[in-house]
Amino acid sequence: MTGLWEILIRGLWFCTAIVAVVAVFFILFFLVRDAGPIFSAVGLETFLGGAVWNPTGSPPAYGTFPLIAGTLLVTLGAMLFATPLGIGSALYLSELASGRVKAVVKPAIELLAGIPSVVFGFFGLVVLTNWIRVGFDVPSGESWLAGSILLGVMALPTIISVSEDAISAVPREFKEGSLAVGATHWQTIRGVIVPSALSGITAALILGMGRAIGETMAVMMVTGNAAIIPDPVFDVLSPVRTLTGTLGIEMGEVAVGSAHYHALFGVAMVLLVITLIVNVCAMLITERLREKTTASAAARHRILSAETAERLLRSSGLLVIALLAGVLWVVAGPCTTLIALAALAAVYGIRERISQRHVQHVAFGFIFISILIVLLILGIILYDIISHGLPALSWEFLTQPPRNLGREGGIFPAIIGTLYLVGGAILVALPIGVGAAIYLTEYTREGPVTKIIRSGVDLLNGTPSIVFGLFGFAFLVLFLGFGVSLLAGLITLGLMVLPTIIRTTEEALRSVPDALREGSFALGATKWQTIQRAVLPPALPGILTGTILSIGRAAGETAPILFTAVVFSRRLLPGSLSDPVMALPYHLFILSTNVPGAEQNQYGTALVLLLLVIGVYLVAIVIRSHYRKTVTW
Amino acid sequence: MVNRMQENGAILSTRDLNLYYGEKHALIDVSIDIRPNTVTALIGPSGCGKSTLLRCFNRMNDLVGGVRTNGECLFKGKNIYAKEVDVVGLRKKIGMVFQKPNPFPKSIYENIAYGPRIHGIKNKKALDEIVEKSLKSAALWDEVSDRLHEPAMGLSGGQQQRLCIARTLSVEPEIILMDEPCSALDPIATSKIEDLMIELKENYTVIVVTHNMQQAARVSDETGFMYLGKLVEFGDTVQIFERPREELTNNYVTGRFG
Repeated sequence: MTGLWEILIRGLWFCTAIVAVVAVFFILFFLVRDAGPIFSAVGLETFLGGAVWNPTGSPPAYGTFPLIAGTLLVTLGAMLFATPLGIGSALYLSELASGRVKAVVKPAIELLAGIPSVVFGFFGLVVLTNWIRVGFDVPSGESWLAGSILLGVMALPTIISVSEDAISAVPREFKEGSLAVGATHWQTIRGVIVPSALSGITAALILGMGRAIGETMAVMMVTGNAAIIPDPVFDVLSPVRTLTGTLGIEMGEVAVGSAHYHALFGVAMVLLVITLIVNVCAMLITERLREKTTASAAARHRILSAETAERLLRSSGLLVIALLAGVLWVVAGPCTTLIALAALAAVYGIRERISQRHVQHVAFGFIFISILIVLLILGIILYDIISHGLPALSWEFLTQPPRNLGREGGIFPAIIGTLYLVGGAILVALPIGVGAAIYLTEYTREGPVTKIIRSGVDLLNGTPSIVFGLFGFAFLVLFLGFGVSLLAGLITLGLMVLPTIIRTTEEALRSVPDALREGSFALGATKWQTIQRAVLPPALPGILTGTILSIGRAAGETAPILFTAVVFSRRLLPGSLSDPVMALPYHLFILSTNVPGAEQNQYGTALVLLLLVIGVYLVAIVIRSHYRKTVTW
Repeated sequence: MVNRMQENGAILSTRDLNLYYGEKHALIDVSIDIRPNTVTALIGPSGCGKSTLLRCFNRMNDLVGGVRTNGECLFKGKNIYAKEVDVVGLRKKIGMVFQKPNPFPKSIYENIAYGPRIHGIKNKKALDEIVEKSLKSAALWDEVSDRLHEPAMGLSGGQQQRLCIARTLSVEPEIILMDEPCSALDPIATSKIEDLMIELKENYTVIVVTHNMQQAARVSDETGFMYLGKLVEFGDTVQIFERPREELTNNYVTGRFG
């Protein structure tokens, strides 16, 4: 009897574990199914290489080249902006910051990660593009530059935290060995610490890039969305349009089944392929990193010789300088550019005569500046939204439905809608995610099956949120006939947060020592009894943290619910799962892009959304630090 | 005091050196004189402060937060804890070999060339010479000369440790500090390192911290016994092991505690 029960339980957890894999296949299937007709109609070559995207013109043109170029350019700019800041900040946190400073700065960076993308977009739209417009004296600040800065900022937390982990993982012995031959701290960082952490830092950059490529809302709100290739190509003030932006803008207005509809799924395919390449690269690199910790594997890998590394560094440095010079030429004129280049050459000329101590001062100066810039950005965003948003907050604002297209009245239905969506998404994702994690850690050994499941989870995790939105629309709204509804939205959101829950739960389960399991088995407990009574209770705080992080993520996401669940104006609360709902992120998006004269309520909505998400994250941080203090194995 | 130093010709001395890790008083009034071109062993039970003392000599303790020192530590008559001292330059002159072999994740060649490069040597030929000379001095050249560009992590533990010694030698220090250099090695590798220590004292001054009393007796000219942060007794190795003046030292070297 117990035997059968155990088998049933095992089967149940196996089913939850393969949900992620099945979801990936479904997403692929529906994308391919709905994108297929456009490829056969216009041909792959025209679709990818065509220079004009004008699906509503006559004749319509479906060339995605400008969109691909837009995505790549915005991402490139974001990386140029975020790489030095991110690595500098990571070095600051891991090498220079004292424990007390770190205890403040690290949560601040995590806070930056918690800001919803639509809030970033809103800030970009009302503040950043305005600065660019005034600063460069151009008619509109909605540009490649704005998109790159904003995406760079959004990629920063990923880059900083992953590279900091990599740098902190460099054994202390390496550092001591270098200092013991009389290297300065900076020479040690440059010569030993950064090279040892290089694969981790690279993975961090690629993950950050993945985040930037897949981002929809923020980029769509600030890039101007003209489907053109900038001319000249490094004109950062030109508007651009990304793949994600195209989906966000056009998907809502397209006739289902038209060539345009299929073309948009084609765009999503292109987007998915690009993010897939990026994520696979990151996976391969982290895999290598994991292998490298064992000495024998390290011996198998050929190591970059110092000369090759130096050459690589030098050529990529030159490339970056050339790019920056091009940008400077456009925005500040040839004169400034030449002066900057001359100064650079002068410093390079006398570099032999600068003492190592001065080199260290300069290097640490740059590191310090980079962390200051990151904190400053966070400060500006928070200050702007809080200072403008507070006056809008009132009891009426929180408890009344909107009036006059949201210019007046409150956001009550949007708050409730968001709570419904998030609560539902967690109800969907939590049992599946925890089950999958239990299966992966407790029931199997590492093998082909776990590898497939884990890859599925990784792929799902790397899928851009707008692609989830498209899938939800094609599969849930249309194919299953749910219509634009709460149900379709919460399932889509649930799928999106599933990887986070699986991963954090897995981590929590793994941190439970085997001795506890063995102790329970030794008393004659079955597998499930052991998991239930000996493994899950101590893992609970970890699972809780993961769940809360998912709540924060789901609450701030816009793209997945854009076409599946939300409407802008609805006085009544949803009566059933098949009703559409209002949601805070979408409300903010529409208020700031489509409703002129709603400044105060925009800021109010942004603030409420920000407080909601940050509050949720704070709870997670508190739980984590509380249990880290009380529970030690 | 200076006179005494000149009389006994010490290269490195401490005078009433005290060190605190936060509240913990880890070194208490340590005064010691290290003569040049000798091997000095520091012995004592775990936690007695012998590694801490060793790490004072090249100010490696600076890396640990919350460390305070007072008293003097004189290298060639100059206090290395004085404000104007260049710690980086000091570490070039006083090298260190660690308990666990810690080669960098680079090739054998790059491990040795790292130090000279740091100090401004760029010429390929000069670097080649330094690498060869250092590896020969560390008795490793014959084993690795045909695979200089392979990863250092692929060497055995004993070879890695000799590589680390070669790395230390590459910047031509005057003193080599060794912090239990054989504790992670097997007996054969250990005996190679011990032979090396005796060879090295011809050109360098070696200070070695060890748990292994036979090792101290085999390699050192002078031995210091430490207990609970104090230098209990310091003197000629033969005397320390055969006719210790202190009861504590006697108990330790005869294995009655430790």
